[in-house]
Amino acid sequence: MANYYNIDDILAEEEFVPVVFHKAANGVVIDPSSETNSVEQGAKVELPLWLAQELYLRQAISISVPACFSQRTRLEIQADAACVDLKSRSPYFYEFGCKIAPLVGDKTIEILLLSAFKIRYKEILTKAYTAVFTTTSKFLTLLTKEETNLYEAAQASMAAFKKWRMGGPRLQRASVLGRKRKPLD
Amino acid sequence: MAGQSDPHISLFSAEEVEFMAEDELIEIVPNLRMDPLNFICGDFGPFLPQIATQVPFWLAVALKKRGKCAIRPPQWMSVENLTQVLERERESQGAFQVLPFHYVEISRLLFDHARDDIPDMYMVRSLIEDIRDVRIHKVETSLEKFSGTSAVKIPNLSAMEVNIIRPFVGRALQAFYKHDNPEKIPDVDRPSSAQTRVANNEPRRPLRR
Amino acid sequence: MASSGGEWSAEQIDDYEALISTTDVELLKKAWRNEKASPEILPFEEALVKRAKEQIQLMEETVDDFEESGHDPLIVSLYQMDLDRVQFLLRSYLRVRLQKIEKFMFYIWKTDTYRNRLSIEEEKFTERCIRDMGKHLEETVLSKMPDNYQSVLKQSVISEEDDMVPEPQLDTFVVAKCERTTRPLYLDGSRQSAGFDSRDDHFQMVPGDLCILRYRPFQEELTSGNISLV
Repeated sequence: MANYYNIDDILAEEEFVPVVFHKAANGVVIDPSSETNSVEQGAKVELPLWLAQELYLRQAISISVPACFSQRTRLEIQADAACVDLKSRSPYFYEFGCKIAPLVGDKTIEILLLSAFKIRYKEILTKAYTAVFTTTSKFLTLLTKEETNLYEAAQASMAAFKKWRMGGPRLQRASVLGRKRKPLD
Repeated sequence: MAGQSDPHISLFSAEEVEFMAEDELIEIVPNLRMDPLNFICGDFGPFLPQIATQVPFWLAVALKKRGKCAIRPPQWMSVENLTQVLERERESQGAFQVLPFHYVEISRLLFDHARDDIPDMYMVRSLIEDIRDVRIHKVETSLEKFSGTSAVKIPNLSAMEVNIIRPFVGRALQAFYKHDNPEKIPDVDRPSSAQTRVANNEPRRPLRR
Repeated sequence: MASSGGEWSAEQIDDYEALISTTDVELLKKAWRNEKASPEILPFEEALVKRAKEQIQLMEETVDDFEESGHDPLIVSLYQMDLDRVQFLLRSYLRVRLQKIEKFMFYIWKTDTYRNRLSIEEEKFTERCIRDMGKHLEETVLSKMPDNYQSVLKQSVISEEDDMVPEPQLDTFVVAKCERTTRPLYLDGSRQSAGFDSRDDHFQMVPGDLCILRYRPFQEELTSGNISLV
């Protein structure tokens, strides 16, 4: 697995998904407030994606579309994608969407992700290059993790360029470099 | 450990792009007499007073700093030409005007070290800044046209412009590509071997998949 | 491409570049650009590095001679600048490769294609990195884990493949300059290619073209020298 150590990938799988148990399961405590340590057939619970994925493969549960991809969110995104608070829906909105789509068999999720991203990246870019921090700070709270990365990437590279353009120290040379090499032995 | 590099590190620093530009050739008019220089990067000179000769930028700047030459600004760096370029740049949404690959770095080097050699320096400088801003804006607003593609031609974009947009454009295109071709980039090794497994007696699964 | 108007046509720039790209410094610079920009480790430029080292040594001796024989300090400093520039390129080139090795040591080691791209010194370096990393993980973590979970490479004994090994991400986008006309490529993806001025069912680059590319389909074009990265 290429991105085994990718912390964002791990966290995206911590997002909860609504599931329905097809089988009764004994010896598990999913709801700490419940009095028994079993789950009944037909029970509706929320599980983290990594667990749901495994149970799904064992045909123990079926998975429904999580709330952050609900019809209401879709309508909001259609209306004004740039203003939707995706972070509160899921800081891993895109990655989570990619992972959940095949499990719930919903191809429209990918379309939703793409159309949301297409509109939002422009806004991110404009804000990253032009706006002052005070007017952007509210906007930044609406962004998912990857969108924040994008924002920071754009801002950092423009800042680096501006710094260069203003001049300042040239390529700095460590004092040990440029001296004559001496043989190691 | 995602492949896309850390957003805080752009691949080449602006200084490294400048380093590359310094190998471009420029005409100088020396005011000293000096034998040919046989460098690893090539042979230059001989240098004779008032006789123009071509040298790499870094050498031109080194000589200029010591008061040993005048630098002849490149032909494209005139107010007339740049005014035209800017006008055409604004008119055409579809294309970038032809400028040297290192025009941003070259102009900064000249503004910093050879002000007295550039006629209308302030005008030239503000034209170049405007041109660059128009061009960068053009690339970035056109990004969604490239949704889902693997290859985009960016004719006539310059080295520094590429470097500025790279961190953002690279990530954005990767996201476009991923969402347009969901099956192409397996994020995790998705159980595409889709056999559902039999419960219970199976050995314990790997901790992460 | 708009080549009318303006002082330089694309062809002129190309011819000019081809003319000066003959020195080893230019070749080293290209190797450095490619290595820095590509997500995977590229074949080691053995002959080129050897030549560059020889030229650096020769120039160091020349500069020494100049200093001793009381040459004009201006000339000595110019030669020193030339030397510094080449040394920077060589050092940076070697260092980028070491960084890639450190990041992907296990993957490079078990993949023949990559392993064959290393120099002898780099191979030794990789071997030691793997040994040290293995020893460190062993002592700090793995020896305290249950028997089935003690591998550096596998999550557990039932893992079919090395599922804890980071790999280079070849779907990264890179910026490339065309050196020689490329083969027409039929790219996968819902749309083949796009440009400001063209859309076609296959994608081909001609000298002077500048493109943003997904790295994977263009691997061969890079190793064959048809494109270079910027």
